[in-house]
Amino acid sequence: MLSTAIDRQGHGVHQPSDEELIARCRDGDAAAWNQLVERFSRYVFAICVQGFRLPPSDAEDAYQDVFAKVYEQLHRLRDDGAIRPWIAQLTRRTCIDRLRAGVREQTAEEVEPAGFDDVLTTLDEALAVRDALATLPESCQEVLDRFFARDESYRTIGEALDIPPGTIASRISRCLEKLKSAMEDPTDAQRPVSG
Amino acid sequence: MIRVSAHDIGLLARRLAALPPAPEGWLEAAQELPQIKRNLDDLLTQAVTDAGLRDRLVANLESALAESGIRPTPRLLDEARARLASL
Repeated sequence: MLSTAIDRQGHGVHQPSDEELIARCRDGDAAAWNQLVERFSRYVFAICVQGFRLPPSDAEDAYQDVFAKVYEQLHRLRDDGAIRPWIAQLTRRTCIDRLRAGVREQTAEEVEPAGFDDVLTTLDEALAVRDALATLPESCQEVLDRFFARDESYRTIGEALDIPPGTIASRISRCLEKLKSAMEDPTDAQRPVSG
Repeated sequence: MIRVSAHDIGLLARRLAALPPAPEGWLEAAQELPQIKRNLDDLLTQAVTDAGLRDRLVANLESALAESGIRPTPRLLDEARARLASL
């Protein structure tokens, strides 16, 4: 996906597509690798923890293992536009291997938690929502991420962003409407939100 | 891109909540992977001609890597062991 976000000063911020990032990673661009990890970090973490319910220490090993495989095997990816399902599959296999390590007689199907496919569908949708979120003004990105994904209180958000706590609920509401518009029509996402 | 029915604001809120950040330090560690691999390459190249270093790596790989500033993850240890064995 190629998109443009708006920073606090109202300037457009180019968001490179997956394909662009991958090409730059293959050329050894460290900044591109950092961006690629950032783009898929939450997705991999969520598959490990929500999809496979790995305990924290196993989840951390699996998470690092997945990104090591992504780095080592990126040149094997045939369709650069398909990196999301490729990473999902790498994560799935890594988690299954970890779960099977202690119970070698079990098949992959037996160790995979029931309902995993539904969780993955939800996470795929969530990643699409985050893509749309990235096109909103930075003020909206931050308040929505802090409130919903980081589960921060109005008070914490108010202090962090230096805005009155009493205005946060209305800002969240307006930003959610903006996000909805961005999902329906990506060209409508660029107008700054105040208050 | 996967299309989500965006008519339901509540659904958008739930999808935002579905992707919390990874715990502190995980993302940074993954971002450092290329540098760590380069450091491991350098260390193993040095070990080819430095018998003392090679002995330290063989005797206690984990602490020798840590001393060199390389975080010894299970995967990295496996890779280092395999490469050490072929030196």
